Amino acid sequence: MTAALITYVRWVERFNHVMGRGAMYGLIVLMAVLLYGAVMRGAGTPPIWTDEMAQFLLMGYFMIGGAYALQLGSAVRMDLFYARWSDRTRAMVDVATIGTLLFYLGVMLWGGWESLQYAIETGERRRGLWRPYMAPVKAMMVLGIVMMLLQCTVFLIRDIARLRGKVI
Amino acid sequence: MATELIAFLMFSSLLLLMLTGQRMFGVIGFVGVVAALLVWGDRGGFDIAFAQSFKVMNWFPLITLPMFIFMGYVLSESRLADDLYRMFHIWFGPVPGGLAIGTILLMVLISAMNGLSVAGMAIGATIALPELLKRNYDKLMVTGVIQAGSSLGILIPPSVVMVLYAMIARQPVTDLWLAGIVPGLMLAALFIAYIWLRCRINPALGPAMSEAERAEVPRAEKYRLLLAGLLPLGIFAIMMVPFVMGYTRLVESSVIGALAAVAVSWWKGRMTRDVWETCLRQTLSVSCMFLWIILAALAFGAIFDGLRAVDFVRRLFLDDLGLNRWQVLILMQISFILMGTFLDDTAMLVIVAPLYIPIVGALDFDLVWYGVLYTITCQIAYMTPPFGYNLFLMRAMAPDAVSLADIYRSIVPFVGLMVLGLGLIMAFPQIALWLPGVVMN
Repeated sequence: MTAALITYVRWVERFNHVMGRGAMYGLIVLMAVLLYGAVMRGAGTPPIWTDEMAQFLLMGYFMIGGAYALQLGSAVRMDLFYARWSDRTRAMVDVATIGTLLFYLGVMLWGGWESLQYAIETGERRRGLWRPYMAPVKAMMVLGIVMMLLQCTVFLIRDIARLRGKVI
Repeated sequence: MATELIAFLMFSSLLLLMLTGQRMFGVIGFVGVVAALLVWGDRGGFDIAFAQSFKVMNWFPLITLPMFIFMGYVLSESRLADDLYRMFHIWFGPVPGGLAIGTILLMVLISAMNGLSVAGMAIGATIALPELLKRNYDKLMVTGVIQAGSSLGILIPPSVVMVLYAMIARQPVTDLWLAGIVPGLMLAALFIAYIWLRCRINPALGPAMSEAERAEVPRAEKYRLLLAGLLPLGIFAIMMVPFVMGYTRLVESSVIGALAAVAVSWWKGRMTRDVWETCLRQTLSVSCMFLWIILAALAFGAIFDGLRAVDFVRRLFLDDLGLNRWQVLILMQISFILMGTFLDDTAMLVIVAPLYIPIVGALDFDLVWYGVLYTITCQIAYMTPPFGYNLFLMRAMAPDAVSLADIYRSIVPFVGLMVLGLGLIMAFPQIALWLPGVVMN
């Protein structure tokens, strides 16, 4: 059981890490798309796809990068008490409250999944000139939420292990 | 269930859960979705959380957020400001208190190149602070100067806090940024006047540079350093001129600014692999943190919209308590500053988003003007214990000679000056609204 959990933790973290690193470089792609749009507009031939592409890229940056950012420990906590607790107390409290994250992300996933299904079934497109299909963007967002959920389960497993005196 | 009861339960459970130290975005989102499910059930309560992500995606200026965060990191990680500090050091050193005044000016320039206060803080605490302490500047004053000065980063454009506010208040970012310029310079002037006055009364607080030391710096060096001052102006100009001329949009200008900062640090040979990696990684991690807090805060706020809680609050203040709109605003501002002392700015955004912004709008106040008040209040929140980014950063970065008690005491006069600034801008809204009015017409 424990061995399986450790493997699970490793795989989830590796996956989120690799995807998150990819999203990190997405910032440069985002810059390139925006600059291309500006230059082409200056040349008198404004492309119709750059603005929306930039918005999709930004969403991907945030969503796919989210789990990696969690891994890096960037999420703000109110640490009035938290900062003064021992590692053990922190682990205990985190185990008790991680349900809030799981629930919130779970409801996000619920809404995202329904929205994705709708987009696939109706062939939903965005309004405007370019009219891109929405399914790929929504699929990416759902993936990001799933990655964050998995990352939270990893936190939970780690904290329980810590309470039992082991470090994963 | 009555609206006011739901609102009360939401805020109290939010506060309670926050105190457990769990990740803030999760806690805010949790309270939001639970309330949505209770109020609307599965007929719409469930997709409120996800729907917010489209609101965020459709808001084009949000793209500036990672750009300006990136720019700030490039600036501080590649130590581009070192020369800038030397310039102020040499030129202002001979005046009593001059180095502290120079530090405020340095912070103003750094603020014009990044959207958060972190870069100013890092530069101030690692370069300016040790230097000033070595020269027997009063450590209380110096610590306060750096914290207050770096907080200008969120008031002087580009400002990330204003981007977030603009999104929630549905106001144009450009107007907000323009509105922040004069108040930002005014606060800087207040700080400088305070330092000058204190050092005039008691020169021991900020001793002038000695004759011998002044003679050590050759004249050519002095003028070479003046060139360093052109650097931030150059980056700012490359970024803003095409925007003001109408060639680029704000979002594109933010990309140009970020690339200009990278180009300069590369040209100066400071863009190593490590720096590049740190900048990219920190940008991702800070941007994602912001985004998830906004998503959760929007979901939380959507419940309030749906409940029409604002109508209730407005009735309570205007009809039941019989206050006029200025009294309400002042009360809100006082409660906001008090909250700011124990909540951090991201938490304040959650409270200000659903409650204060609609009320301010309903009272017929200008939301751009209120954005400036909001930002200055955030600055105060940055500096006041027990929560405050600048306090934490200061604690982490300051040399050992500066104790925690020193840091806490040092901010008092500066917070006082900021409250004074708030009062001035409330009494004379033109301070904030004059510039956007001129430029936009």
